[in-house]
Amino acid sequence: MADKQPIIRFENVTKTYENEVSVLTNINLVIYPGEFLSLVGASGVGKSTLLKLIYAEEIPTEGEVYFNERPISKINRKHLPYFRRNIGTVFQDFKLLPQKTAFENVAYALEVDGRSEEDINAEVPEILDIVGLATKMDKFPHQLSGGEQQRVSLARALIHRPKVIIADEPTGNLDPTSSNEIINLLLEINSFGTTVILATHNKGVVDKLGKRVIFMNGGKIAHDESRGKYMVQ
Amino acid sequence: MTKAGENIWYNKLMKTLKLWRTFKEGWLNFRRNGWLSFATVSILTLSLFIVALSLLIGLTTHYVLGSMRDKVTVSVSFNPDVPEERILEIRDELARYKKEIASVEYVSREDALSSFLAESGNDPIIAQAVAEIGENPLLSSVVIKAVQPDQYEVIVGQIERSTFQSDISRINYAKNKKIFDRLDKINSVTRQFGLILGSAFVFIAVLITFNTIRITIYSHRQEFEIMRLVGASNTYVRMPFVFEGIFYGVAAALVTTASLSIVAHFISPITEGALPQGNFMGLYQQFFFFIFFGILLLGVLLGVISSSIAIRRYLKV
Repeated sequence: MADKQPIIRFENVTKTYENEVSVLTNINLVIYPGEFLSLVGASGVGKSTLLKLIYAEEIPTEGEVYFNERPISKINRKHLPYFRRNIGTVFQDFKLLPQKTAFENVAYALEVDGRSEEDINAEVPEILDIVGLATKMDKFPHQLSGGEQQRVSLARALIHRPKVIIADEPTGNLDPTSSNEIINLLLEINSFGTTVILATHNKGVVDKLGKRVIFMNGGKIAHDESRGKYMVQ
Repeated sequence: MTKAGENIWYNKLMKTLKLWRTFKEGWLNFRRNGWLSFATVSILTLSLFIVALSLLIGLTTHYVLGSMRDKVTVSVSFNPDVPEERILEIRDELARYKKEIASVEYVSREDALSSFLAESGNDPIIAQAVAEIGENPLLSSVVIKAVQPDQYEVIVGQIERSTFQSDISRINYAKNKKIFDRLDKINSVTRQFGLILGSAFVFIAVLITFNTIRITIYSHRQEFEIMRLVGASNTYVRMPFVFEGIFYGVAAALVTTASLSIVAHFISPITEGALPQGNFMGLYQQFFFFIFFGILLLGVLLGVISSSIAIRRYLKV
């Protein structure tokens, strides 16, 4: 992998909030395209903050995060929406728009990009079919199960064909069966070459994956193993 | 076509497409947030209704007082020995002051008597009393109607200093002056009171509407984060709410107009004859477009400005 350019690189990153508590301390991390990386560790250890630095929801207090070797903190606020289309995000609470159907939730990501109706009508059903929701496109979030909502959210994350998928506790609200379905979908997406970064508490999930695991503790990277297991210190 | 030219057209097309999409989005929000939209429109309607009603009440008082003043005249009575020709001469002379005097009417002693009897409801006792006197007790007079009510003072002053001053028995001005003064006072008090009350209502209406819309936006606050997360620009997030504000305004203006029309319909019979427009419905119809577009504009402005201000704090990064 050494010959490849990293897709995401953390360089001496420290993040301190206003109350002067350091959430992340001197993080150095290199992620290459096509990797499936699990981020594990207790709650409040800084996993979400690390992810937020990637999709530019937060800016490092010190150091820099690079996306395709370009510093993310230097991106103009106005260009942020365009940058975010490179990164698909999935969250524990799904973050679906409650007033919109499954189809509309996914379509929204294309609408904001100014894509034509033909494109939208062609691509949205296709991606919803991939996540197995072809028959539930016109359902509102409250009419779907947790697993189904998370699949809508995943479809939305995929619609821009992003280079990176960030999943922050995507199975946190799901039963084991639904969790497995989501993880399998993430693996499938990864097999097409998309980089997946998965933050999770779920020991079972991580152990089964047999992929790279980063264990975080106290705002630092404690372990980084290329074929790791979930561990508790 | 050059590349730059294509880009300009592409950008324009893109902007129109996005504007149309945010419009649709706003309409969808308006429809799907049924209960919240209903509550917001109701509050906005109440505000507009109060504003429009205070305006209409102000207009009504203005016209009622105006028409009361219009009915007031000054009559100049002549001594019984002044011949009719002389009075007619004086009348014609007065009629020449067209700037000040709208009309001068000669009322002979006979006319005065018959209208007096008519006013007393043709009461046989009064008729008998008059017959007993044997002679018509009333005087001939000219009834003057001024162009502007405030000109009576000048007109009466002129008559008192004129050549025919000695022919005059009396001018009923002093009594009328009291009525004028009272009407003027009522007019200015109601105008001031109406203005203060109206402004207070407008202020309260703005405050209530703003807060209601703020709550509406607040209930959407989690969605703004999601929208930005999936790549929506701040403008794209904001525009649907601006359009939603417009829909609130239009809906509220329509409901307000409908309610006002119903109110006008029921109030109208009470006001029959008290207004130069005939009744309240006449007044309402005369000012209908003014009121309708006024509240439409006020409603839309309130909706849009409240939405824009309320959403701003959620878009700051």
